[in-house]
Amino acid sequence: MQNSHIIRDFDQAIAALRAEVLGMAAKARFNLERAVQALLERNTELANAVIADDDDVDDAERKIDQLGLDLLVRYHPVATDLRLVISSMKISMNLERISDHATNIAKRAKKMAANQELPDATLIEPLYTLADHLLRDAISSYSDRNAELGASLHARDKELDRMYKAATATYGGRLEQSTGRSEDYLHLILVSRSLERVGDLATNIGEDAVFLDNARDLRHESNRSLEQGG
Amino acid sequence: MTASPDKTKSPAIEVRDMEFCYGKSSALRDITLDMARNEVTAFIGPSGCGKSTLLRCFNRMNDFIPGAKVTRGGIWIDGIEIHSPSVDGVELRRRIGMVFQKSNPFPRSIYENVAYGPRILGEKRKSVLDGIVEKSLRGSALWDEVKDRLHESAYGLSGGQQQRLCIARTTAVDPAIILMDEPCSALDPIATARVEELILDLKRNYTIVIVTHNMQQAARVSDRTAFFYLGELVEYDATSKIFSNPTHSKTEDYISGRFG
Repeated sequence: MQNSHIIRDFDQAIAALRAEVLGMAAKARFNLERAVQALLERNTELANAVIADDDDVDDAERKIDQLGLDLLVRYHPVATDLRLVISSMKISMNLERISDHATNIAKRAKKMAANQELPDATLIEPLYTLADHLLRDAISSYSDRNAELGASLHARDKELDRMYKAATATYGGRLEQSTGRSEDYLHLILVSRSLERVGDLATNIGEDAVFLDNARDLRHESNRSLEQGG
Repeated sequence: MTASPDKTKSPAIEVRDMEFCYGKSSALRDITLDMARNEVTAFIGPSGCGKSTLLRCFNRMNDFIPGAKVTRGGIWIDGIEIHSPSVDGVELRRRIGMVFQKSNPFPRSIYENVAYGPRILGEKRKSVLDGIVEKSLRGSALWDEVKDRLHESAYGLSGGQQQRLCIARTTAVDPAIILMDEPCSALDPIATARVEELILDLKRNYTIVIVTHNMQQAARVSDRTAFFYLGELVEYDATSKIFSNPTHSKTEDYISGRFG
């Protein structure tokens, strides 16, 4: 926990930025949850709500960029404060893309709801569960400044990749065999793809949280040890 | 002073286990740091932390303060301990120039301000002095602004120009090291930027140590930054490391405004 800044407004600006990121993260995660729920429960109304609420997430991204820019212009933050501004702005970009994927899933949920129910849709559920856990932990790694948790996401995302490949293989097989349901199987393949991308974006957020916590840049590194210079 | 065998690799200034006292009161303790050649090192820290005292140790300016002395350890410049009997204080101060907070031109012409040092050192040939004056003023990015009024009073220059004139006066005697004690604190942002640009240019030929209260200035001009607190060196590292991820919480508190 850092000491208070001599300028109280600075602490308030930092707190406002952090709160906005966490609020945006909650919205993006809620959108993803409802999009998958809309798909599984064939709930068009819920899908419409997700599509409409994506605007709030876009607004949050703009607001975070503005708050970050104001902080840089007014206070020239350094060290942890600077890393917080940079990581917050990068995380908001990833959250916006996660919410876009939720919107894509919601749009496909609406299209699938117009057709007859497809039992294979439930295969999506374990993918969503893991993607949501990765997202939840990514957000925690930022809010708790937990570099260890943030760095762990890369390895866990590999499991999501494996599940995605298995799901697309299954849906691809059904697509070849099916008569008249190929469009729905295509939707499910693309929904799986969106969930796999959410895992990648959550991993990015985890890497930003590592940068925030200890200034390490883990991106594109084969050795992801948290030791300095590792 | 004799140059060390391999000047390119050895540090320009080495401080080892140094303690400095004003009478019985110690102002600096356990100071150990190396300053690399052709680099800018910034000293930062709150008022009274000892950073200016250390700067003034390097050219033995503190010799003029009664009771002030290095009581332990020492300072080596080009491999020679500067308090050893073989070192002459006047020659040391020629090799190590200093620029102060407030510009202090002599009440003479621009030309005479720059030619003063070389004249004192015995140079009488006008053509040589002309050459030194032009080279020093060009090196201080002042030549184009003053070449048509070299024989007018230095007091007619703006504050920023006067400070650059003082830097030209310092370089005119061909020092190896330039010490700067808050050289921009009395300047406006444009004049400050000109001096900062000059510092970055000068480091190709000189080793520079600058004391500054301006964090952004330390971040802009220095290669390495040393943070002092209560007479101790808390942290010394690459400037980018100090301002992005300092090791000590006290350094972080100070540079990010969380001190006290």
